[in-house]
Amino acid sequence: MAAAPSRHDGAGETVTALGLAWRTARRYRARAVLAIIGVAVIGALNFDMLLLSRGLLLSFAGLINSAGYNIRIVGSAGLSLARLPVEDAGKLLEQIRGLPQVASVAMLRSEPATTAQPSGPPTGLELIGTTDVDGDGIWNSIEGTGLAGLKTGTAGPARGSSQDDSMMPPAVISKSLASRLGLKADSTIRLRVRLADRMSALPAMTFRVVGVADFPFEAHDAYMVATTMDGFRAVHGGVLGDQADMILASAASPIPPEAAVAAISALRPDLRVFSNDQVIETFNRNNFAYFRQMSIVLSSTTAVFSFLLVATLLTVSVNQRLGEVAALRALGIRRRRIAATLVWEAALLVGLGGVLALPAGQLLAEVLDRILRRMPNLPEGLHFFVFEPRALVLHGSLLVATAAVAALYPVWLVATLPIAQTLRQEVVS
Amino acid sequence: MTIVEARRLTRVFPMQAGPVTAVREASLRIEPGDYVAIGGPSGCGKSTLLHLLGCVDTPTMGSVWFEGRDVSALGDTERARIRLRRIGFVFQRFFLLPMLTAWENIELPQSEAGVPAAERKARTKSLLEFVELSARADHLPSQLSGGEMQRVAVARALANRPALLLADEPTGELDEDTGEHIAALFDRVHAEGTAIVLVTHNAALAARARTRLAMRSGTLST
Repeated sequence: MAAAPSRHDGAGETVTALGLAWRTARRYRARAVLAIIGVAVIGALNFDMLLLSRGLLLSFAGLINSAGYNIRIVGSAGLSLARLPVEDAGKLLEQIRGLPQVASVAMLRSEPATTAQPSGPPTGLELIGTTDVDGDGIWNSIEGTGLAGLKTGTAGPARGSSQDDSMMPPAVISKSLASRLGLKADSTIRLRVRLADRMSALPAMTFRVVGVADFPFEAHDAYMVATTMDGFRAVHGGVLGDQADMILASAASPIPPEAAVAAISALRPDLRVFSNDQVIETFNRNNFAYFRQMSIVLSSTTAVFSFLLVATLLTVSVNQRLGEVAALRALGIRRRRIAATLVWEAALLVGLGGVLALPAGQLLAEVLDRILRRMPNLPEGLHFFVFEPRALVLHGSLLVATAAVAALYPVWLVATLPIAQTLRQEVVS
Repeated sequence: MTIVEARRLTRVFPMQAGPVTAVREASLRIEPGDYVAIGGPSGCGKSTLLHLLGCVDTPTMGSVWFEGRDVSALGDTERARIRLRRIGFVFQRFFLLPMLTAWENIELPQSEAGVPAAERKARTKSLLEFVELSARADHLPSQLSGGEMQRVAVARALANRPALLLADEPTGELDEDTGEHIAALFDRVHAEGTAIVLVTHNAALAARARTRLAMRSGTLST
């Protein structure tokens, strides 16, 4: 028989354990594809659970850290973001401003309000009064200027259209409200506050829209408008107690925020003063623990499913090839090499599935995030699923562990296979 | 040096219905250049004896000495090393790896034994020529006929130049003509200096061996 040209002209190739695993996966293609798809689906869920476990915390941290302030001062009880007034806020503001540990300070008040436009129904919103005319951490300007762009009005509430234009307080309105009412910079907007728990007959007041902005803390179904403290007082009929819902401060560089927190706390021991890190840590301990626990349970469950899927498929595969395995052992092929082939096979199935799980998981996370963010009163800038490199590392580690554990039983089967008995059974069968 | 010597081998399989003695006090010595055929009815213990000689099973009583060493005193790794380097196995059902080509199946035991690539290549090429399958080097087992698969299996068994070739019903899955080709191949293997022990029902194949033994109910006789 004449020898046909062979591709084995160079040095002989070694069939490695990885090579054998790859060939096996290709040989039993349907089984491999099923396993990869299964791992990809389960891995996507697992990846999402990892994104969820710290997503809200990371997103929250991003939100409050994006502000120009790293210290928050609230009333004497409750959570740092709850609306608990700080008494003698004006005096406190000056005291804090005088501290060498503090670089800047601003006061915030908010009140539910409604629009009172000549046309159209009233629209509920949250009106914020602030001493920070640039709105650091409260809004991100899209159009127009900050509150400093117009001289602050100090007049009382206007009656009808008789309010003097030059006396109109400035307002920065949210993009969503601007879109809803068809407003832009230099428009006017009429607002009326709704005093909580009180009957109110305060008249509406016209504000000059000086800017349109994104308000990261605005809920998707709510609107925000910011004005100066003078404007805020004016819309309250010129009568407003010396209170603040929150005071924001930033530590002077390079002083750590904790030192500034201590200095402010010393001024007013009755208040709660937190650095951003402390706020985040408190939320991590109290409010986001549910997500973390849920995520751990679901991650573990999906990892178990991955393990079961791959372990079952590998076990079935080994059982189908017992004769081959016994023959290889009879030929002197070491257990270690056959076991390595199985481990590589598990790694290939789980690895390919795990890689596919990443885009699938990201896509699923975006869909789920959109659904969850429809919850009422949730700040627009808050996300449930947030990517961080740590999630990727954990995802990879879980997959490696899954592949290793899934290969354990098949490897044990191969390692303890009685060669002679298996060969006999294969012939009999 | 004697390749393998079986001394009063007994192999008992514990079964639920009671122990079954597959091999009963069998003694046998295989010297270099021997060509032994063991015949006998199904279930008489031929394959079990072959497995004992091939270091894949251990006797319940008696001992196997391979090239002067008591196999029962060797660990699993050492026995695997003997099987890899000194013994070649040919199975009734070929047991080629279906995902590897003929070339790769023959190369596998060599790469396991650490044979350098160039030497491996030359050996594989020469073995494929020896079994007259050079043209099918890159074919998968599924692309080969039964006879071709068994020829590849013989080449694989010879890959590491074993002192002893053990064949368990090597023509059991083949038709008469193909079986005849395989028998002729064994003659050539023997002529090249490899000792052969085969168990078979095939009288024509057994007739080609220098020594013919019979087994009945686990007992070996001449």
